[in-house]
Amino acid sequence: MKRIIVIGGGTGGAVVANGLARHLKKEIRKGEVSVTVFDGAKFHEFQPAYLAVAFHGSNENAIRRPTSSLLSSSVRLVDENCSKIDLANKFVVGERSGKRSDFEYAAIAVGCIPDPSQIPGLSEANLDFHTSNHAKKIFDRISKFQGGKIVTGIAGLPYKCPPSPNESTFLLHEFFTKRGMREKVGLCFITPYLRPYPAEPMSEVIEPLYKERKIETLLGFNVESVDPIRKIVYSMEGESVSYDELFLVPPHITPDVIRRSEFSDSDGWVIANKRDLHVKDYDYAFAIGDNTNLPISKAGVEAHLEGVVVANNIAAEIKGTSERYLFTGRFQCTMETGFRKATFVVGTYDKPVKKIRPSFTNYVQKKIMAKIYWNAELGRCEWLFRMNFGRDYYDTISNGKTAAPAMSPMGQ
Amino acid sequence: MATIIVDSRGTACPGPITDLIRAYRKAANGDLIELLATDVGIKSDAKAWCERTRNELVGITEDAGTYKAVIRIVSKRGMA
Repeated sequence: MKRIIVIGGGTGGAVVANGLARHLKKEIRKGEVSVTVFDGAKFHEFQPAYLAVAFHGSNENAIRRPTSSLLSSSVRLVDENCSKIDLANKFVVGERSGKRSDFEYAAIAVGCIPDPSQIPGLSEANLDFHTSNHAKKIFDRISKFQGGKIVTGIAGLPYKCPPSPNESTFLLHEFFTKRGMREKVGLCFITPYLRPYPAEPMSEVIEPLYKERKIETLLGFNVESVDPIRKIVYSMEGESVSYDELFLVPPHITPDVIRRSEFSDSDGWVIANKRDLHVKDYDYAFAIGDNTNLPISKAGVEAHLEGVVVANNIAAEIKGTSERYLFTGRFQCTMETGFRKATFVVGTYDKPVKKIRPSFTNYVQKKIMAKIYWNAELGRCEWLFRMNFGRDYYDTISNGKTAAPAMSPMGQ
Repeated sequence: MATIIVDSRGTACPGPITDLIRAYRKAANGDLIELLATDVGIKSDAKAWCERTRNELVGITEDAGTYKAVIRIVSKRGMA
């Protein structure tokens, strides 16, 4: 019996578990393989939609479904997180039960979480739309806002969903414009980067929007602390900006179980090979999604495509077939720019970000993605992903030869 | 006074500047950050970042396709 444990049932975890269930259908039926997901969250959330909860007032119950409903019937769900992941001795320990579960293969996909505690005063002062109870509060606050200054942006690195701080700013502009009170609201976007968007080509696309919409930008602003009483944000270099409402994205960290492990780097991220996604030193353990130290953005598309790679490679090893997949580093983040327009941030490890102008068509694509997300998690939309991503869907390696040319060397 | 080595080789923009910003948060005044990158954009980005944050760009060198930007941290308020 080959026991595969997937730690985390979010975007990446569900894709890898359901992919394994498809690839190893016969083996699971014969009792030769088992796939088990550990996840203590009762609900799986479509996280990008928190922006709509915060700035459009969407119902947050509509963006979550029971975790069990997004897993194949042949996948076993253990409804608790892991308190220990021992890769060297091939076992995990359940956080609530204390029960040990052994494995032959493991995929680590526990994601990352906002950590406002890194910046003094931020927890008290800030509402973060990535956090479920904050998202609803943001909509309540802006609905009652009579005028003043709202500061948005990036409080620290790394953070998930790179376009989301920009989107939050554009959606606030749209919200107050539609209410006919935009002139009463000052919007200020702060970022430690030197451009409104970290990658230059995309920054060139959105920078005119900031100017045209009279949104102030404070670039190279490294948040040091926040004074929640006086309502002032301070930078490390002694600059400051005052606010009436503060909606920054905090720096993110991995859960404790990863940070205290021997397979994470000094900042607590899982050290993974950027192409085959092996955890460093362990050829039977893989890391996917936001909890890795991979040099790409932390977002759902990457987690999904990494899940496709890992599911194939574990199944190929068990079945003794030769074709292995490699992750291309493909990212594709939507950025809603307001008024039913959106753009995409697209690239791979080897292809730099392209300039894509905001359009209604892109906005429609974003909405379609939100609609098909649940089916995509269950593996019912891979044909669409394959068609959309083309050669970036995954790279292949067979008998030591990569099938797609012009890819960078394996490893970091 | 510490020297912090930041290895961003193999990452494309904005990878090196992201790594620099993360290292900066942990650095103290007087520390040196040595940023290694293969993305040529780091030449202009490191210079612009130092100007904006008022830190000191000690120098940028290139060797076999790897750029090394050496930055002395001097601008953090309230730090010795």
